[in-house]
Amino acid sequence: MEKLPLGLVLDLNKVVPYKTGSWRTLMPVNIMQTPPCTHSCPAGNDIRGFLRVLADQKDYETAWHVLTRTNPLPSTCGRVCPHPCEAGCNRRDFDEPLAINSAERAVGDYGLKNNLVHKKLVSGRKEKVAVVGSGPAGLSCAFHLAKRGFHVKIFESASEPGGMMRYGIPPYRLPNYILRQEIEKILNLGIELECNVKVGVNLALDQLSREYDAVFLGPGAQKGVAIDLPGKSADNVYTGVDFLKQVNSGKWMEIGKDVVVIGGGNTAMDCARVTKRLGANVSVVYRRTRVEMPAITAEIDEAMEERILFRYHTNPVKLIVDEGRVVGLLCVQMELKEPDASGRARPVPIAGSEAFIPADTVIMATGQAVDYDGLDIQTVDNQWMHTNENLMTSMDGVFAGGDAVVGLETVSLAIGQGTRAASAIEDYIDGNRESQLSQPPVIFSRDLNTYYYDKQKRFEKEAESIHMRLKNFREVYPAIDPEAIIEEAGRCFSCGLCFSCGNCHMYCPDCAVKVSPSGGYEFDYDFCKGCGLCSKECPCHYIQMTLEK
Amino acid sequence: MNQRIEDFDKVEKKDLFTSGHRACGGCGQAMAARMVADASGENTIACVATGCLEVFSSPYPDPSWRIPFLHSLFENAAAVASGVEAAYKALNKGPVNIIAQGGDGSTADIGFQCISGMFERGHNVLYVCYDNEAYMNTGVQRSSFTPFGARTTTTPMGNKTRKKNLPLIAADHGIPYVATATVDDFRDLQRKVKKALSIEGPKYIHILVPCPLGWGHAGELTVKICRLAKDTGLYPVFEMIDGKVTNAKKIPVKVPVEEYLKLQGRFKHLFKKGVPIPEVAEIQQIANENIERFNL
Repeated sequence: MEKLPLGLVLDLNKVVPYKTGSWRTLMPVNIMQTPPCTHSCPAGNDIRGFLRVLADQKDYETAWHVLTRTNPLPSTCGRVCPHPCEAGCNRRDFDEPLAINSAERAVGDYGLKNNLVHKKLVSGRKEKVAVVGSGPAGLSCAFHLAKRGFHVKIFESASEPGGMMRYGIPPYRLPNYILRQEIEKILNLGIELECNVKVGVNLALDQLSREYDAVFLGPGAQKGVAIDLPGKSADNVYTGVDFLKQVNSGKWMEIGKDVVVIGGGNTAMDCARVTKRLGANVSVVYRRTRVEMPAITAEIDEAMEERILFRYHTNPVKLIVDEGRVVGLLCVQMELKEPDASGRARPVPIAGSEAFIPADTVIMATGQAVDYDGLDIQTVDNQWMHTNENLMTSMDGVFAGGDAVVGLETVSLAIGQGTRAASAIEDYIDGNRESQLSQPPVIFSRDLNTYYYDKQKRFEKEAESIHMRLKNFREVYPAIDPEAIIEEAGRCFSCGLCFSCGNCHMYCPDCAVKVSPSGGYEFDYDFCKGCGLCSKECPCHYIQMTLEK
Repeated sequence: MNQRIEDFDKVEKKDLFTSGHRACGGCGQAMAARMVADASGENTIACVATGCLEVFSSPYPDPSWRIPFLHSLFENAAAVASGVEAAYKALNKGPVNIIAQGGDGSTADIGFQCISGMFERGHNVLYVCYDNEAYMNTGVQRSSFTPFGARTTTTPMGNKTRKKNLPLIAADHGIPYVATATVDDFRDLQRKVKKALSIEGPKYIHILVPCPLGWGHAGELTVKICRLAKDTGLYPVFEMIDGKVTNAKKIPVKVPVEEYLKLQGRFKHLFKKGVPIPEVAEIQQIANENIERFNL
């Protein structure tokens, strides 16, 4: 007879646990949410994605591919973007926002240095798309269409591609070779480029729209607008755009000793800093104060560092011309009154405050407009192109984006517009209605459990010393240390996306958070009692409590 | 990466105390029992006193333990563990980790003489006390670990005495290792358990485990309340090696006790329309004394 052990014996491996999941009223779920950086990026870059790759895998190559999913010009944006992403970063409420802009530049430069190649998603579609203008909007649109297999041809009016990035941004902010390499990479997707063709003048738009399945217009706002002053037709008076275009084309400009720049936007700052580098004494004349200046704050700061004189509350009333050349400006002092339509304080002249400012060259960076020469397109207020919600203009199959549509904006916004236009063009060609996917909600600081993060110092890029800067047109910010950027990427909160901290797994009193085969964590709803501890202790708000199904 | 969340690979995750137990949602004791079991590993015998832990984790036929588990009575977990240890010694078997576990009632009140005896005889046993500051299993009655001012069913106007300081009493037995810990810092807790098991002789670890039901807070706040208990100074976290306090955890930013008290229903009577009554000042005094004594 078999000898049985004394008492009850339980094989612990055969225990069927009691399912406590039925006690639950709320259930935890993993929800990926939109981080504020991506939300505030006009190009919609997956910032959290590429920073996580840098921090976890220290892999610049993958990071470059993540970043170039949306943005074909990371090196350019990493230099010139006013980085609204950093203003959105949730870390600003904790210590300091991440140096996303510098990280983008480091990743972009890695791609250029190591000759990484854009990958095509689909190949071999037979439809043809024409892109007018090779600025950020046109390049981005062409890039995304080419990735989707379309035959794309870009028509550019200037002799080199790049639009305002080539002819508007001085090389100390964006060196030419960087831009050229990035554009080459984009063109290597099989995009044709024809320079020195001005659509509307050399080539009719109607002809384009007949020959191609769709047309994208990204002409930008290339026409400088001068203010109407007596004497503005003198030889040594330029508009800001024209002046920059000539300098960036490599033309030597005789500007004399004293230069006066009129205006307070980014073009004005660029003109002032360029003329300073050409050896002139520069003053910027602006009717309001620094607060109202539309230029990027960092640009104004750098211009001030370079000892450019700012004359606020000053408005030119007349250019004094002698023998066809300007010798100076007659200016009047202004005072600021209640805000005007643009929301900025309205300047009003003070009687009897006229003063003379000597000038050898006057640059009017007082606005830009779209060059409609030969383009018969419906406009808004006779100024910007009119488009519908799918970025289509008044002509069927002709889409538009960039500065020509949204007004004077940033490179990243133009890239975002190009991306949107590319999907709109694809939908138009395929005859689809554009699918409007709803974006997951944005995460804000109040949603995060910041106990689990440590305060760390932000990466600061170092500028070249001022006297070195003013000697030449070399970049103000020298190359960035890739190791420092990996450390900086580690500061990312990873808002709304699991980074495997393991809190949910360890804090669950019911062991109902299991390691999933894919490496993350998943819930065992048979046992979860719905206490909410995992959600409360999730640092990045990836876990949320919802009503029981 | 951020220091607080690095090294997750080093955390023990063995699931030796698993799902299916009947603890309330957000139970601190269940969390602690699992962390201790995972830290000690498969080669462990758990001797558990009567209490919540024993009741919710060991109903036949589906216990949550995946290690040998012994339950005898409310008062004698330490004595049973001493016996197991003596038996292993007599049979010349081992080595094995023997962990006696009990709630605050069985540790501080009912089973105290067995524990004291175990310490005095010098058995190679780790005693882990899960301190939820009252007899939660039988319906929230006062124990000698109930803090000053806390309401239980037997102290409806708030407890009038201060909490018994068992870690120091245990250390005064001359045992080699005493530590306190909380469930919010699982790395620290597991490190202390492993350290204790590596030392020969009787050891004592005191773990603060919030009880959502008895303390009157939402289950999701268990970890936060532990953290506040540390940061106010009401629950000092330290180690004592051979009777000397070492490694007392510094408080990064000191928090007034009101923040800890206001989250819990058992201290609700200390605030009349949001204004604290004089007892709160005495609780703050206790916290200040702890901070001074352990140099937190």
